[in-house]
Formats: sequence, structure tokens, C-alpha cells
Amino acid sequence: MSHPQAIVLAGVLISILTLGVVTVVGSQKEENSTSNTKQFGGHTPGYGTYETTGSVLDPTSLPTDPNNSVVEPMKFLRDFNYGRVSYSADGSTIRDFTIIASDQSTKEISPGVSYNVWTFNNTVPGPTLRATEGDLIRINFINNGSGFHTMHFHGIHPSEMDGVFEGIAPGGKFTYEFLAEPFGVFPYHCHIQPLEEHISRGLYGALIIDPKKPRANADEMVMMMNGYDTDFDTENNFYTVNGIPYYYMHHPIQIEKDELIRIYLVNMLEFDALNNFHLHANLFHFYKSGTNLVPDEYTDIVTMNQGERGILEFSYKFPGKYMFHAHKTEFAEKGWMGTFLVTEPENAVNASSFSNITEIITNITNGGSS
Amino acid sequence: MMERERGIIKENISKRKIVFFGIVPFAILSTMIVLILSYPALFFSNPIKPLPEISIEKVEFEPLKIIATVRNTGHSEVSIVQADINDRIHSAAMEPDNKLERFESAKVIIPFTWNEGEPYGIGLTTDDGTRFEKNIQFAILTPQPTVKQASYFALIGTYVGVIPVMIGLLWYPFIRKLSLNKYNFFLSFTVGLLVFLGIDALLEGNEIVVRDISSAFHGQMLLIMVAILSLVSLIYITSKLVRNARAKSSESEYPVYTEASKDDISNVSSVHSSRQHLIIRPMALSMMIAVGIGLHNFGEGLAIGAAVLLGEVALSSFLILGFTLHNTTEGLAIVAPMARSKKLAIAKLILMGLIAGVPTIIGSWIGGFLYSPVATIIFLGIGAGAIFQVVYSVGSWMYYNNNKALTSLPIVSGFILGIFIMYITGLLV
Repeated sequence: MSHPQAIVLAGVLISILTLGVVTVVGSQKEENSTSNTKQFGGHTPGYGTYETTGSVLDPTSLPTDPNNSVVEPMKFLRDFNYGRVSYSADGSTIRDFTIIASDQSTKEISPGVSYNVWTFNNTVPGPTLRATEGDLIRINFINNGSGFHTMHFHGIHPSEMDGVFEGIAPGGKFTYEFLAEPFGVFPYHCHIQPLEEHISRGLYGALIIDPKKPRANADEMVMMMNGYDTDFDTENNFYTVNGIPYYYMHHPIQIEKDELIRIYLVNMLEFDALNNFHLHANLFHFYKSGTNLVPDEYTDIVTMNQGERGILEFSYKFPGKYMFHAHKTEFAEKGWMGTFLVTEPENAVNASSFSNITEIITNITNGGSS
Repeated sequence: MMERERGIIKENISKRKIVFFGIVPFAILSTMIVLILSYPALFFSNPIKPLPEISIEKVEFEPLKIIATVRNTGHSEVSIVQADINDRIHSAAMEPDNKLERFESAKVIIPFTWNEGEPYGIGLTTDDGTRFEKNIQFAILTPQPTVKQASYFALIGTYVGVIPVMIGLLWYPFIRKLSLNKYNFFLSFTVGLLVFLGIDALLEGNEIVVRDISSAFHGQMLLIMVAILSLVSLIYITSKLVRNARAKSSESEYPVYTEASKDDISNVSSVHSSRQHLIIRPMALSMMIAVGIGLHNFGEGLAIGAAVLLGEVALSSFLILGFTLHNTTEGLAIVAPMARSKKLAIAKLILMGLIAGVPTIIGSWIGGFLYSPVATIIFLGIGAGAIFQVVYSVGSWMYYNNNKALTSLPIVSGFILGIFIMYITGLLV
């Protein structure tokens, strides 16, 4: 045995195997020769702007595909469905709504992320239904899904209208009929077991019942806090307000200085015990469940458990850009954040009406504290 | 003539038949593949989209950014749409782009102010919302291939690989003076060490497989396969070389103990048994051990470099001391068979020490600068195979020099002690 030969042979053996490895491991795609670089990372304070020739992964600055988006958050924000109005013999208002449940479509819930959502009327969250105290609400519910679904409303109604014990079969129909009472803001959701699944997949929405004497004029919006567990490990991967993470970061909500803002805030987040809402550079009056005309609290954070909700009222004193987000910062950093863009009123006519509103608020505030 | 022609024709026909029957299964198989690929609906009424799978193979920490190398190890194309650090979403870029073909890899660049010495979880989310995570125990600025960093690795490699082996070589005069029984003890002690090192290489490879290699690569199988391949081919190569060498020169050059001279080292003569030609000369055995240990140390160097790169360990002086103690025994393994050789060859001894030790340095460079888990387990596999081949060679040398028996007390106790010493010194690492 001559050992130099052994060494040479061992060397050859190693080189052959190395070559094999290098070909497998080195099979990276060749760099694009095109020099169209994109910027990313610059919008977070403290982080520099970087340039890349590749793809930008950034839900904080990129929108979802509008054609397959789970919801249009800007439209949803101020979209109140009052139903088809008719009147009964005694002159009371009847509001008919048609709600279709489905569970087969896969939609984009965050830029690039597709998820099989279960929906009421094709969006998550479902439509915001609105009525006035004493109206007759009639929900023509159609189950277009592949499994049993129902609609369970919070509020006061008879047992058979509670949407719990009588599941509606696929292809089935049911009419939920009840008087709108009391006034306030209520969640509605599917109540089929496993409840956690039916809710977390997206079968929920808000029902607003206005008091007979309307609340003061305001720029009204609904905000539904939710989350998505896209990898089914009973932990949310995304947190949002109104369905798409970070949406109001790249699409700020435009409001006017000194204008009364009223937010109907509902927490339909599953898996996490609590969620909250924090408003920057301002405080709001909070009406727990919206069932009282006197605010419960004057604060900048409200914390809610699953299913809890309320009404927030505030107005901005200074123009500019202001954040709002979950002060459970984990949720904020997984999508539950947004911004208000406060601008000067467009014309004097509006400005005069604001002073009225401010007056009303002041009255309410005084009423609350006295 | 006619008979013969007929015979030839018959033979041709039967050959054609053989070829035909050899091809038939392939033909059927390829037809089936073409059909399934062209009309999947005919076979699977409800084709299920395979689950995406990606693996984050490497995470590098650079000033103000974290760079993850990700590979698509699933069965279909996948898009990566989101990056996070510690489960908090961050803006990121992906180069060349975020669509990965099967087995393709790309880099995800995440601007982030990370803190040295802290653990981080790097997460990537695919287009179906599945999140994949890689945990880093200890963030450390990724070693850049600078002269300073290279000499740091060289220093570690020297301490861990070269110096201990050289110290071990100093046992040469001691081993030389031993009687055959005591010699047998040390030789089997060496075998014990080597068995430990071989198993150690496989376990270390398995750790890397579990940590860094996606199941798509069948890492464990790759590791074992490479080890077996290396073992079998090295056994074949050495036996071939030994046969050739025997054919060229007289056998008296190869000292082998006869039964009569079992206890007398100086009385060396040749034995002409039929199996004798398979036994390898002591000097060659030493060289083979040196090469085997060199391969093992190369793997060890890769692992050390990778550990620094991946932030797995902070290389403390205690750890380096542990490696040094552990590896000193490797020098002993090299000199043990060589002590039977008549001539003292200091130059060769030093050469063998370098062959065994220097690969640690080279390994730490490669592991630290160009870490690839697949390459690392391949080297560990080769190393393990080479070590087991040496175990085989030393074992058969002892077998034929001890009356075809390996059950004497010195041999058995040496073997057990060898493994045990490695285990004890291994606790320091």
C-alpha cells in the first residue's frame, strides 16, 4: 500500500462529492440583470431605506389585490346597511336584510396571503346592519355554505330567533325576526360548533341599534377588531381592524379637524383573551356597549374581551397624522394599527356645524360628569 | 453451416426477446407517467394541492439587518409573502424574488436593529398563511471572510486540531518500547477512540440534519449513505492498493508477527498465509488513520465554524480546552500502528500530524464563511466512513497478528477504555 496514492484517492473522492453538493446547494436562481430597484424599510423610524432588485415583502405599505381582497376596509368603514325599509299597518318600520353565508372561497386577507374565509355576504367582517330602536328587523338568511351555519345576534329577542339550537343546513333558509331593542352596538355571529372555528373563520359582523332620539351628528365609522389564524395552531397570525392588517397605515382615514368622530368598536378577536384600542394624541368618551347616552369613561385606551364592544366619540384639535392601534403591542405589530389624517375643514359651512356638535359634546360631557 | 446460422439467428431472437422483456416494464411505466401528468383529473377526481414547505437554512446577522437564506423544500412552487422577527411582522425584501421553484433558494433581507448575544426567531409566511420559523440561540455578527476572521479561525483550528494531534504523536517512543500484549492494548484503545469518533460524527451529522435540513433531502439517509459509500469504497481502494504493492515487491518488507514471535517485537518475519496479502503495513495503517482523522477533523472544523456562524455557541476557552484534550488521543491513534515499523520516520510522523490536524482549520474556514448544512453532513459522512474503514483495517491487522482472535484481555480492555476515555473527555466539550 502506498499512502500518497491513498491520499490522492481520498482527495478525489472528497472533490467529487463536494462538486455534487455544490451543484445542488448552489442552484440559486440567477440574479435579475434588470436594474429596476425598489425601496423598502424606510417608513419605520430608526430603520434606513434599503434598495432591492428583488421582491418587497411589506404588508405595512402594500395593498392587497382589490379583485380578491376579503374586504375593502375604506368602504366598510362607513358602510351602514339599513335594509329594505317598509312599514307595518301600525306604522312601525320593518327592515329587511338578506344575508348569505358561504364557506368555500379563498380570499386575500393580507398582501399575498390567501385564506379560506367563511363569510356573511362575501366579506370579513360581515356587513354592518343598522336599525332604530323599536324597528322590526327581518333577516332573510340563506346558507350557501357546505356546512351548517346560523346567525346569532346579541340583544333581546325570543329563543327561536337566537340562532343557536336550530342550525341551518347547507342550501337552507331561515328568517330571523325580532324587534330592535335595546339601543346599542351588538355583535352577530354564527353559533355552530365548533364555535371558535366558525367565528375565527370570519362569520361575524356588527348590528347597530340607534336610540329613538338620534345621537348627535358625527362622522361615523365602524371598526371591527379581528384576527386570522392562517396556520390553524389556535394562535392568530394576523390582527386587523376591519379585515386587512395595516390597511389604514397606507390608507389613512381622512377626518376633519374639530369634527365629531363616532366609532362603533367591536372586538371579535378569537384565541386571545383581550384586545384593545388606543388613540394617539387625544382622548375619547367611551360608551360601553353603546347602551347608554352618558359616557362611562374619558380615556385614550379601551380594553375589550371577546365579544365586547362600545362607542367612542372624539374630535381632533390639531391637524396632522395620528396613529391608533392595539396597545397590546404584539397585535399592533402583527397588523392592528392604522392612522387618522386630520385636515382643516373644507369650508366655512362645515366649520359652523362643527361648533354645534362641539356644543352638544360639551353638554353630554357635562351631563356625564354631573 | 446451416445449423450454426440457425443457432446464431436463434440466439439473436432470444437476445431481442431479452431486450424486449427488459424494456416492457419501462414502457408501461412511462406511458402511465405521461397519462397521469397529462390527464390528472382522470386519476384523481379531487387533486389536492400539496402543502408548502420551506426551510430556513441559514440566518446571518449584519449591521442593522438580518439575512435569512430560505429554500423551497416542498413539492410545488411557493411564494413567500411576509417576514417576521420574534413573531412580529417586519418590512423585508427577497432576492432574487419571492417565488421559489422546487428546491430553489433565495435570500430574505430584513432591516432590523438586533442586539448581540440575544436569541431571535426568524419567521417567514408562505402565500397560504403558513408560518415557518428558525430560532437562533445567540445573535452574533456574521463572520466576514477577512484576514482577521480567517486567522481567528486558524488559531482555533490550531488549538483544536493541530496541537493536540502533535502532542499525541509524542507517545511514539513510549509505544515503540511496549511488548505485544501492551501494544495490543494501545492499538485496541485506538480502535475504541476511532469507533467513538465515527459514531460521534454520525450523531453530529444527525444534529445538523434535524436542525438545518428539510426532510425533503432525507438528510439522515444521505448521511448514512455517504458514510457507507465512503467506508466501502475506501476498503476497496486500500485492498486494491495493497494487492498492487504486494505484486510489485517482496512480501518480506511487510512485517507481521508470527505465532512464535508473538511476544517479541524485534523478531519480525513474514507469514505466508493465503489471507496475509490483505493485511496492511503499519506505516500505511498510520497514514490511513491520519487521513481518516483528518477527514473527521475537517467535519469537526466545519461544525465549529458553522457554530460560530449560526450563533450556536460562544467559543469559550473552556470549550477549546475540552476539544484539545479530546483530540490529543487522536495523535495516539496515529502513532500506535506505526510503532511496529522498524525505522523512525520523524518527517513522516509530522506529515501525518498535519494531515490529521490541519483540516480542522480548513473546515472552520469553510464552515464559518460558506456554511452549507448539506455539504457539512456529506463531509461528516465521509469522515465517519473513513474512520470505520480504519477501524476495519486496524482490526484485521490485530486479528491476523493475534492468532485470529480479538478476545484477549488487553484487546478488549483497551477497546472499552478507548471509548470510555473519549466519552469522559467529550464531556468537556
